[in-house]
Amino acid sequence: MIISGHWYASGSAAQVAAALHIDNDVVEVKTGGDVVLSCHLRDVGVSDRLGNIERKLTFVDIGIFSTQDNAAIDSAFGSLQKSNRCIHFLETHMAAVLVALIFTIAVGFSFFRWGIPWASETVAHALPHKTNELIAAESLDFLDEYWFGESEIDEQRQAKIRDHFRTQLLPLDETNKGINYRLHFRSWDHNDKKIPNAFALPSGDIILTDQFVLLTKNQDEMDSVLLHEIGHVVHRHSLEMVIQSTLVTTIVMLVTGDSSGIADVGLGLGALLVSSHYSRNHESEADVYAFEKMLVAGIDPQAFSLIMGRMDEYMEKTFHAAEVDSGIEVNADSHGGTDDDIGIDTESTAKSDVDANTENGQEENVNVIEKTGNTSDYNDLMNYLSTHPETEARQKKAQQYSECFKQGLTVCDVQ
Amino acid sequence: MKQLTFEGNGSEYFKIWIVNILLITITLGLYYPWAKVRNQRYFYGNSALEGRNFDYHATGKQLFVGYLIAMALFLVYVIVGEIFPLGAPVLLVVLFLAIPWIIWRSVMFNMRMTSFSNVRFGFSGKLGLAYINFLLLPLLFFVSIYVLPIAAAIIVPMYKGSMPAYAGVLIAIAVILSMALAVYFFALMQKRNTSYLINGYRYGQGEFSTELRTGAFAKITLKTFGLSLLTFTVVMMLVGTAVALMGLGGGFTDLAQMGNVENPEELIGELLAGGAVVAVVIGYISMIFVGFFLMAYMQTRQRTYILENTLLDNKIAFISSLKARSLAWIMGSNFLLIILTLGLATPWAKVRVARLMLENTYVDVGDGFDQYVTQKQEEQSSLGEQIGDAFDVDIGVGI
Repeated sequence: MIISGHWYASGSAAQVAAALHIDNDVVEVKTGGDVVLSCHLRDVGVSDRLGNIERKLTFVDIGIFSTQDNAAIDSAFGSLQKSNRCIHFLETHMAAVLVALIFTIAVGFSFFRWGIPWASETVAHALPHKTNELIAAESLDFLDEYWFGESEIDEQRQAKIRDHFRTQLLPLDETNKGINYRLHFRSWDHNDKKIPNAFALPSGDIILTDQFVLLTKNQDEMDSVLLHEIGHVVHRHSLEMVIQSTLVTTIVMLVTGDSSGIADVGLGLGALLVSSHYSRNHESEADVYAFEKMLVAGIDPQAFSLIMGRMDEYMEKTFHAAEVDSGIEVNADSHGGTDDDIGIDTESTAKSDVDANTENGQEENVNVIEKTGNTSDYNDLMNYLSTHPETEARQKKAQQYSECFKQGLTVCDVQ
Repeated sequence: MKQLTFEGNGSEYFKIWIVNILLITITLGLYYPWAKVRNQRYFYGNSALEGRNFDYHATGKQLFVGYLIAMALFLVYVIVGEIFPLGAPVLLVVLFLAIPWIIWRSVMFNMRMTSFSNVRFGFSGKLGLAYINFLLLPLLFFVSIYVLPIAAAIIVPMYKGSMPAYAGVLIAIAVILSMALAVYFFALMQKRNTSYLINGYRYGQGEFSTELRTGAFAKITLKTFGLSLLTFTVVMMLVGTAVALMGLGGGFTDLAQMGNVENPEELIGELLAGGAVVAVVIGYISMIFVGFFLMAYMQTRQRTYILENTLLDNKIAFISSLKARSLAWIMGSNFLLIILTLGLATPWAKVRVARLMLENTYVDVGDGFDQYVTQKQEEQSSLGEQIGDAFDVDIGVGI
């Protein structure tokens, strides 16, 4: 077999037309009529096939023979290049490429859908509780300085809530692994409007805002939210969020690492969608934790539904009024019912103002503000971007648990 | 004058690219160094001048250790950022201090791993100069942007009601001075960075050389600035007109749909808000495309200037024939392609850029390349290059 190409002496740029003669296992390079060298097939270093770029045969310390005739090189040296043949097969067969494409998308999807949550849950629970205290350290001071004011709830009522929390709710968390739960009361105003909310820091510090305390009508409602917060702490959701966003950031970096910066825009949005999806799962998990504990403690899960509904109503009333006043902040959506946007606004303002801590999910909150709007695509998108499940869906689940409660069950099998 | 050519094509590269991604995915990222090698080899191997090709010589194995260390550092950076948000800026400062070293090592590694017509490139720039060019000058640039405005913000309130009459003039002078300084340092930075890189490049025993003037870069910067003022004004006026028309039209359809208006105030509010949102969206998109054009303008002017002033061994010369509008067209259409295909068109985008760049580069080959010989070079680890990769440190002359 004769393959034509070029000959370069080792390390030299001078190019000479040459021909490669292969006879059984002997390779000869000829330029003009002269034989430059001859050696055994196995002693030739052949560069990997890649698309149709020029192939280089290296004869150590003597020179290289380069040729465009990829097919001839493959047939002569193919048996010596096993691993590369496999990759090249994938790269040249459309069916294989399609399979690769679908496989990549499927693997990528399942990795984000199940792999990351699973990995971060496993890692979060493998770490000592000390880690939780580490990530929560300073958070409360920070929030106090920039966000919260002193509580106006009277001492007596605070003491009563604390006492009830310690004696009635904490014993329900029988697996308590040295978590030191503490209740904190704070006032929280946003644009002179009081915000009802409850947060849990991963360390076990639970913060109740004044407006939240005022909105609760009875002990059961208060307990349902406190149990939800304990659920966040027990499930280590903050730590999971930290691990998840570490993984997501690293992976997004890996994927975009060698593409153009423009693609980052799309991937950034993707990362946002993924992390709000995780966050919604956490809310549902904490809800279920609360409902199950309520059944054990003999509290009707309906209480959760009631307090959520009331907080929703309060937010809508307070902020809808504000929205009509300011007018210009109303969204493009022209069919009324823009409460969704206000909800998102409030929340995102809260986040950006508090500091990076909040962004990283170091507080978990029962936020109230999402609501089913009309069915426009815009609202669907907003719901998807939202970090909390819709209140109606949560209330429906509470309803299901409540049925169990009415039948006197302490365990409830809800899908 | 001989034209550089690019022989690759999008669909061929797509297959290589997707297989790379597949293998990276199933090896949880460990395949990345080998994927990078295949990528580089594809682009280098398909670049040719007079039947002679470029080649990339690093192997996956060679990149792997550096890659693992760089990944570990990146993970530490991300974790620190997550857990101690206040610690992240400290790490950024550390990274900032390391950038000149990273650039120096990356350029050296990448040049040594590149060959043309069987002869390796090299880089002989000094580390100390890298610190002046990539740390000191950028610092001066930022200082020149921020110092005067900050000083003004501190001094002006001190006078309160008793501002002297000439204060306005002083402030105007300060602002102009600050802008002039910023343009000067920006131009100086570009001139010095480019000269540092090009004067350090080697091809075999051959040396690249360039003589650039700060004034030329300043002129390009000022022209771009003037052009951006002009185009932004025009675009904003067009968008404003379009929005005014659309806002009214949209408002009337709403009115028709709603039939009766319960709350006229609310409706007006919504109309205004609707207009504002449309304006923001259209304005944002037009800004992106205007931005592409301005970027392309600046890049092509600089490229033309730099290439025509660059020589290899005072014999081999270069010319760029790249036009701002062709580059802007490729950038803008690539942007849309990538967004609309959720990234799947990336391979075509990259091939289009490579072809445009190469086919607009001409070389006056003089006596040819035959006398060039690879020089002996020390083995060097890929660590700096991989850290640069992981943290996306931007390197290169943009040629």
